[in-house]
Amino acid sequence: MEAASIPETPSAQPPRRFGDVLADNILWVLMLLALVIFFAKDPHQTLDDVKTGLSNGLIWALIALGYTLVYGIIELINFAHGEVFMIGSFVSVSIWQTLNITPDSAILPIIGSILIGLIVSMLASSTLNVMIERVAYKPLRNAPRLAPLITAIGMSFILQNVGLLWRPQPDSSPDLIGSQNDYFHVFGVAIEHSDVFAVIVTVPLLVGLLWFVGQTRYGKAMRATAQDPDAARLMGINVNRTISLTFLLGGLLAGAAGMIYALYNGTIQFNQGFTAGLIAFTAAVMGGIGNLKGAVVGGLIIGVIQSISDTHFGQVWTPAVVFAILILIMVFKPSGLFGEETREG
Amino acid sequence: MSVQAQENRADLRPDGGPLLEAANVSKVFGGLVAVNDVSFIVPRGGIVSLIGPNGAGKTTFFNCMTGLYKPSTGRVYFDGRNITAKRPDLVTKAGVARTFQNIKLFRTMTAIENVQVGMHGQLRSRVTGMVLRTPFNRREEKAAYAKARELLNVVGLKRHNELAMNLAYGDQRRLEIARALGSEPKLLLLDEPTAGMNPQESDELRRLMEKLRAERGISVLLIEHDMRVVMGVSDRITVLDHGEKIAEGSPQEVRANPRVIEAYLGSQA
Amino acid sequence: MSTAVATLRTNATNLRRLLPNWVWGLIFIALAILYPYILDQLLAAPDDLLDASIYTLGLIIMALGLNIVVGFAGLLDLGYVAFYAIGAFVIGWLGSQQFPDVNGGKGIHILTPVKSAFGSDLPGIHVNFFLVIFIAAVFTAIWGVILGAPTLRLRGDYLAIVTLAFGEIVPRVFENSTSGIFGIGHTDFSNGRQGITPIDKINFPWTDTTFRYPLELKPVYYVGLAMVLLVIFLNIRLRDSRLGRAWIAVREDEVAAAAMGVNLVRTKLWAYALGAALGGFAGCFLGTYTNTVNVDQFEFGFSVFILSMVIIGGMGNIWGVILGAIALSMINRYVLKELNGVPEKFGLDFDVTSISFGLYGFFMLVMMVLRPEGLLPSGRRKLELHGEVDESDHIGAESDHELYEVRQQG
Repeated sequence: MEAASIPETPSAQPPRRFGDVLADNILWVLMLLALVIFFAKDPHQTLDDVKTGLSNGLIWALIALGYTLVYGIIELINFAHGEVFMIGSFVSVSIWQTLNITPDSAILPIIGSILIGLIVSMLASSTLNVMIERVAYKPLRNAPRLAPLITAIGMSFILQNVGLLWRPQPDSSPDLIGSQNDYFHVFGVAIEHSDVFAVIVTVPLLVGLLWFVGQTRYGKAMRATAQDPDAARLMGINVNRTISLTFLLGGLLAGAAGMIYALYNGTIQFNQGFTAGLIAFTAAVMGGIGNLKGAVVGGLIIGVIQSISDTHFGQVWTPAVVFAILILIMVFKPSGLFGEETREG
Repeated sequence: MSVQAQENRADLRPDGGPLLEAANVSKVFGGLVAVNDVSFIVPRGGIVSLIGPNGAGKTTFFNCMTGLYKPSTGRVYFDGRNITAKRPDLVTKAGVARTFQNIKLFRTMTAIENVQVGMHGQLRSRVTGMVLRTPFNRREEKAAYAKARELLNVVGLKRHNELAMNLAYGDQRRLEIARALGSEPKLLLLDEPTAGMNPQESDELRRLMEKLRAERGISVLLIEHDMRVVMGVSDRITVLDHGEKIAEGSPQEVRANPRVIEAYLGSQA
Repeated sequence: MSTAVATLRTNATNLRRLLPNWVWGLIFIALAILYPYILDQLLAAPDDLLDASIYTLGLIIMALGLNIVVGFAGLLDLGYVAFYAIGAFVIGWLGSQQFPDVNGGKGIHILTPVKSAFGSDLPGIHVNFFLVIFIAAVFTAIWGVILGAPTLRLRGDYLAIVTLAFGEIVPRVFENSTSGIFGIGHTDFSNGRQGITPIDKINFPWTDTTFRYPLELKPVYYVGLAMVLLVIFLNIRLRDSRLGRAWIAVREDEVAAAAMGVNLVRTKLWAYALGAALGGFAGCFLGTYTNTVNVDQFEFGFSVFILSMVIIGGMGNIWGVILGAIALSMINRYVLKELNGVPEKFGLDFDVTSISFGLYGFFMLVMMVLRPEGLLPSGRRKLELHGEVDESDHIGAESDHELYEVRQQG
């Protein structure tokens, strides 16, 4: 980097010119522009894409929160988080298969089994996430940063293979919510059961999480540890427990996401976590890693990007599009939408 | 006159004028002003000390000089050229070398290899030459090896083939200096070179600095806390406190300066 | 466990010191040359092991390539499979009938047979293997620079993810380029999920006779061996050169390296370029040896496979990485096959070879937790980790020296 021009007047923060602000946020501007163009070309299709995207995006938001919570507190990318999500899917489908629930069962058993599926998958995933931390990350807390990243990858692979052993072939999930059926229409766009369901499950979880992190003692402990673990320890916070709690919360959300995904998608397979994980991670980075509302917003945006890409570039290209966006963000705007301007890099 | 020449300031000719000049350098981190409008010079062939209580901004200032930080305001001129915010490796190639407060040696490399890395910018072999070991490359590597040994001897380090991480603390500090010398600098920036040394070692270091000036014409700017060394070796001393220059002058002048005394005593309260 | 390893380490070092290095080198080369004949003597059916060995030669080159990026320069690259893919597709394009319309159906032939053994035309582009490997190396190197450039200012985790993302994008781009690239043009570059097959066999430039693997394995083994020896030579020269020192300096402490006059951008890009070049070099060889170039060969698991070799061998340690490559390749090939019978005993019905990447995952986990510096003896001593707070802006990495090979004096 050659010498930039340096203003002669010593001021604490030189005021930011519009040009600088624009350059800083060029990625978002371009994306917004693209959306506007697509809308102009085909309003109905675009609205439909947006709806689908927001709906999918809720799932990504839940998973992204897991990444962002963990990164915020120990500055580590929990590579195995996608697999935690996958296990959540597997658990809920297994429950439904065991209970022999089908779309033709009576309404009460269906609701009951969905609830059971939700709770058990959340428990399973959260336990798994905590276990992962204990086994793969905690022993390496003082090691160079490379080490836990590699154990994380190792853990991801191990879990993928657990998934593979469990279900070597993709399995179908019973369509308990009649996901393709319409409830009503908004601006000519069909709102399906699955969309409503996603909202019904996700929103309370998000609200609950934000309340927990923002208002409770435990949440405060998490935020304190994220800011400065040593100071937190000196204040009497049990840092180890707080970290485990963070993983627990992330796991709960991933488990819920897994259940929703199973109902939504109809099919589950052992490697769904890998791609889902990368997509959700993109969402977390887009929102500003470490920032909770950023993870949610990022998830929604990624969902919309995916559906627009599906329509206009074709489904085969969508993963590449998302990964390309991930690269662009990490290289040009690593702080994302709401993150701090750290030279995280 | 071209912009470049205007930038370089016509009055700083390479054969006259100060070697290093910092003009109104400030560095701000968010809300914290770490260095506030500091100006000073290092004359050619001079040994200048930068002192001040802990947290005064001395290392931050060094980092501004060497391109590790981009100054928020101000300029840095070296040997007549504007080096403000230039990339660190370019600053080194221009002739400014440094050591670090928290020794930053390449731990898994030997002492000789560390010095050889210090010489990196001076060596010219290309990758093809390295792979094929062309005569040019072989000559250059041989010369580099010999020079590395020589520099290690100059600083008094005997265990040339020892891994940097296995060296005694004093030797590590010496190695940092030898490594810095590898780039054939005109100016050596030493950041607390005698930290952790006993008086004997500190004296050796003091003599080394004088020898480097006398025999190689190397100027020195050093950050130091050891007042014996500072008083004994410096031509001039600049004192920083809370990021600002509070005094400057000969050792005698600075020693007697009430603001300086207060800064040190006050900050120990 | 560490005392046992330490004793092993001292014994190995003492053993090594019995003869000068170059004598060991000659012994090693001699053994490698005699290897196929040794197998003939020892085994009734040597071809299977020889086949595995030839494949391993390709993997060794890749592991050494990744070793430059991860081991020497300390840049965690999780997308190395992209370079394998690029190199393989180069021979897919330049050594097959993938482009049948070229030259009016007659094809282009550079130092390769113009007509098939039956006298018919050979459409497509056919360039001699010994040219293609270098074309592939250069082409892949260029892509190494292109894909590496955006990552230069990224730190550990972020760098890993971005390289991973590239490793995902590249094969997908190939897969979807069945009708032009990104939909531009109409050429089929990859034949989609079916892949490009067959791939030309190797032939010496001065003759039209092509090799006859998989029937006759010895000639192709020697070509592979020659490539490996060339790559080892390259690695050793680089490691001991100014660039090699710069890489290790950058790996140890970027800030200090820059302060010593090391151009970080150039140094890192050289690492990517050379690492990628080796990936393409080997990819080409494996492409012709396996007779197919298919996107299914290029998945994240492969990147992890190669990375495991580098980690297990001790990052930066050329010989360790070679041994790691051989070990993992053979385990993948033989041990896992042996395990195939085990599940049936428990009434389970699955194919253990598909467990392989889980096993590598487990391996890496265990290695990292218990012995991060790899299995091979090296000249290092364990250090306490220090968590120094550096007040300067960090341009990049902190010192992960714990994990890396310490070079021998020399």
